[in-house]
Amino acid sequence: MSSVSKSPWIIHYDGSSCNGCDIEVLAALTPLYDVERFGIVNTGNPKHADIFLVTGGINERNIDVVREIYDQMVEPKVVVACGVCACTAGIFKDCYNIIGGVDKAIPVDVYAPGCAIRPEAIIDAVVEGIGILEEKSKKLKAEKKGA
Amino acid sequence: MEMIGFLILFPLVIAGLLVIFRQDKVRNVIVWVASLVIMGASIAMVAMNIGTTGTYYMFDSAVIDWASIAISVIVGAVVIFYSVKYRRKWVLALAAIQLVGTLVFEFGFAHDIVCLRGLYVDSLSLIMTLIIGLVGSGICIYSIGYMEDFQAEHKHEADRRPRFFALMFIFLAAMYAIIFCNNMIWLYAGWEITTVCSFLLIGYTRTEEAIANAFRQIIMNMVGGIAFLAALFYMALQFNTVDFLDFIVIGTLAPALVVFPLTCLSLAGMTKAAQMPFHTWLLGAMVAPTPTSALLHSSTMVKAGVFMLIKCGPIYAVSFGPSIFVILVGGLTFLFCSFLAISQVNAKRVLAYSTIANLGLITACAGVGTAEAIWAAIFLVIFHAIAKSLLFLCVGTAEHHIGSRNIEDMDSLFERMPRLARLMMLGIMIMFIAPFGMLIAKWATLVTLIGTRQIALILMLAFGSAATFMFWAKWLGKLAGIAGEPDNVEITVHKSEWFADAVMVVLAVLACALIPVISNYLVEPYVASVLGMSIQPIRDENLYLSTIIVLFMVVMMFGVLRKKTKAKKASVYLSGVSVDNESRVFLNSLSQPQEATVRNWYMDDWFGEAKLTPIGTIICYILILIAFVWAVVSTAGLTILL
Amino acid sequence: METLISILITLGASVIFAIVGTVAGCLLSGLDRIISARMQGRVGPPLLQPLYDVRKLIAKDNVAVNGTIGTYVVCALVFTFIAGGIFFSGGNFLLCVFVITLAELMFVMAAYASRSPFSEAGAHRETLQIMAYEPMVLLLAVGLFMATGSFDLSVLPFLDQPILFSLWGIFLGMLYILTIKLRKSPFDLSYSHHAHQELVKGVTTEMSGKTLAQIEVMHWCENILYMGWVVMFFIWGNPISIAIAIVAFILIYLFEIWIDNNFARVKWQLVLKSTWIITLVLGGINITVLAFL
Repeated sequence: MSSVSKSPWIIHYDGSSCNGCDIEVLAALTPLYDVERFGIVNTGNPKHADIFLVTGGINERNIDVVREIYDQMVEPKVVVACGVCACTAGIFKDCYNIIGGVDKAIPVDVYAPGCAIRPEAIIDAVVEGIGILEEKSKKLKAEKKGA
Repeated sequence: MEMIGFLILFPLVIAGLLVIFRQDKVRNVIVWVASLVIMGASIAMVAMNIGTTGTYYMFDSAVIDWASIAISVIVGAVVIFYSVKYRRKWVLALAAIQLVGTLVFEFGFAHDIVCLRGLYVDSLSLIMTLIIGLVGSGICIYSIGYMEDFQAEHKHEADRRPRFFALMFIFLAAMYAIIFCNNMIWLYAGWEITTVCSFLLIGYTRTEEAIANAFRQIIMNMVGGIAFLAALFYMALQFNTVDFLDFIVIGTLAPALVVFPLTCLSLAGMTKAAQMPFHTWLLGAMVAPTPTSALLHSSTMVKAGVFMLIKCGPIYAVSFGPSIFVILVGGLTFLFCSFLAISQVNAKRVLAYSTIANLGLITACAGVGTAEAIWAAIFLVIFHAIAKSLLFLCVGTAEHHIGSRNIEDMDSLFERMPRLARLMMLGIMIMFIAPFGMLIAKWATLVTLIGTRQIALILMLAFGSAATFMFWAKWLGKLAGIAGEPDNVEITVHKSEWFADAVMVVLAVLACALIPVISNYLVEPYVASVLGMSIQPIRDENLYLSTIIVLFMVVMMFGVLRKKTKAKKASVYLSGVSVDNESRVFLNSLSQPQEATVRNWYMDDWFGEAKLTPIGTIICYILILIAFVWAVVSTAGLTILL
Repeated sequence: METLISILITLGASVIFAIVGTVAGCLLSGLDRIISARMQGRVGPPLLQPLYDVRKLIAKDNVAVNGTIGTYVVCALVFTFIAGGIFFSGGNFLLCVFVITLAELMFVMAAYASRSPFSEAGAHRETLQIMAYEPMVLLLAVGLFMATGSFDLSVLPFLDQPILFSLWGIFLGMLYILTIKLRKSPFDLSYSHHAHQELVKGVTTEMSGKTLAQIEVMHWCENILYMGWVVMFFIWGNPISIAIAIVAFILIYLFEIWIDNNFARVKWQLVLKSTWIITLVLGGINITVLAFL
């Protein structure tokens, strides 16, 4: 395992949602689930983060925000869509203002369904994301050497 | 001795020429040549006398005695003329007192007193020579370009530049007179010339504000002048001498005898050095064109004040009342003005407060008067002169090119005026961050203060220095900001301005890097000559370590610090909703584009002028009152006893 | 010649500090995180977590808002190493203070240079914090001089009694500002280890990758240096002082973690007011007593 997998820092964004998944993400940080065991830190700053945790769907207002946060994250980076709204827009799908899941705005690497998503599922999804992060990191290293 | 004559007379001749030849081109050539000659002569003067422990020349001239009287009369006449013209009865009264006092003194008391040692050179004069010669004439060169722009901005007003330049050179001559004359009557003549020259320079623009401030300056400095005169009276009556060296010797041997004249001279020095409560004249002087401010702040005027105090240092070291008076006023001025500088948004006012604060520290050091204290005071003078003139020149140039002297408007100057911003940053760093010059001098100050157990002063230094960090760092930060691709506006800066800046930067870097050398060849000889012993308060290895860091910083700022980088360009975080990231515009909660701006902290509730100035002024007035009561009582007591 | 040798010793010590300080600071930071987690009823990350973080940051892509930020940060890091070198080689304490202040200034400048609203707000607060604690640090230097006769730290192991006995007030004052220096709550105004701050990440908002890694390393070294400043109160000419110093180190650091975990962040007004009053009262009384008794 390389260094990137031991220190996945996350940034969390809550889109069009009922805030259920939002609360579950925070629950993952509490003593019961304690994601810091895996070196996971919630940074609140795209420039420091490796994993983009999005809860909730994409609407007309937040699509640019999600895109900008994604753009400002430094490579290598991974996007995890947490909860069914983030995956497909879920219960809000047919609302007039909804565009769809997170993948309508940015490339998503891991889909984690659930309504609301369980903290265990979040941890599983992040661990899944770490694997992808690892691959991307290797690719970046190879690019650097090649360049 | 011929060199002394040359240094005093040459600027006077040039001033005369400048009044006669009024064409721009001719004047520019004269100023360039004259300034370079003064620089060269000053360096030659120092080279010829380096390491001197004081040479006193047997020189007594009736001509100069008469000239001094003539100067006093002219100075009095000029002030009376203006006070009548603008109807200032207080100024008129003061000028009349001073004129009558001077004439009574010269004809009634001093005419028979012979001062054989008219002129002298010691290492302190040499240091001042360098400061006046290099910094002062550098500012004259700078004025060429600056005043051209200034005149262009004030087209409808009469071109008074010939007079302006003439005054600048007279100023230099007067300063040389102050530092080389041992005859106090001559010194007093030089002293009065600086007062009236700065009066005329401050009033240069003749706006209402300028005239009001010029009169404030003259009132305060004439109070100082009258105090000086009182000291002269006392000396003539009591000791039958006007020899400065004699005075210092008498004072050191029997401090109780000189309490009154020393208090008077302290007051004279403090008015000139703009100590609280007299600091307002220096703030008011900011209305003048920037070269005037630079000249007043760095190499002349205020430095004449601290020069006087440093000269009296050995007496303070052994005296009680005047010493405490000077230390407390200096220390309080340092503390209060450092705080006040935090609340200022006008760059020139920040510089003014910082000048007053540093002069306060120099005054306090002079008041302590031990070998280490004088060492520290002299280094404070050196670094302050160089860094402050550099800063004033930079602010002046920036003002002409960005149209403001507000610090908030200097946002991103790093890109708009890349070279100038770096010069300004260097100047600021010299003023407040170790291991650049000023802080090394402060270090020495701290050592002295601990040695002499000046607890109150240590506390003032600690808190004042912290405030100093705040107001310089936030200004530095404003300069350093980088955003977007603004146009470079410094292409039109005059060559003469760059030349002057270059002189200051070279001087600054050399001075910071060569502290041990300056200490060995200039400062220690002086301290040894007046106190009989000399110690460098800081060990060489620490000074050289500082030198290494200084050079590292200079290389970093002028060599390495670039906007371009190999890294990919990233945008700035604006909470994810930027509209135009380069100009920091984001989409606000009403979906409207809005620019994100950050203003500096000025903390007006804590450090505002309305809050602090009255407190400082009142305390200092009370201190002056107590000092004079003490002086009169102790002198009277002494007379009764004897 | 002697001058040259002593300069070389200091520079050599700086290089050694760059290595030893980094390792020690990394372990200290790891322990800090584990202990904090245990205080909150969590397990916490592995001991070497700070190292993993920095290794990851170095591996990240090279991205910057502009080129000057990186330069300022490198300067800050180098000056921190030099300050540590001066301190731990028994150099001049005041010079150490000056150099670390220069490092702080470079750190602030890096934030200002980005001209980003969040990092500028952080920079202002950082400047304010420096103004708040600087008087106490200067008084520490003054006290050290009064107690030992010089600013030189090399005299500490030869003293008859620890300077704590004469500098009790300054020691307490230093404990107070240590919380600011270690960037612990309630005084973590400008930059915090924890997420969801109104400032995003304050001073470091615009820094990423290698630059952020350098900042982390700088903080490890700073923490070791500042702990050195308080632990030196327990050093005197007796071998047992080493053991006492170690115990003091542990207790003081635990105390700081405890404060960090138990107090919410305060406003800047309170930081400035309280630190200045404490400095004036404790520091002022202490040096007055030293000078006149």
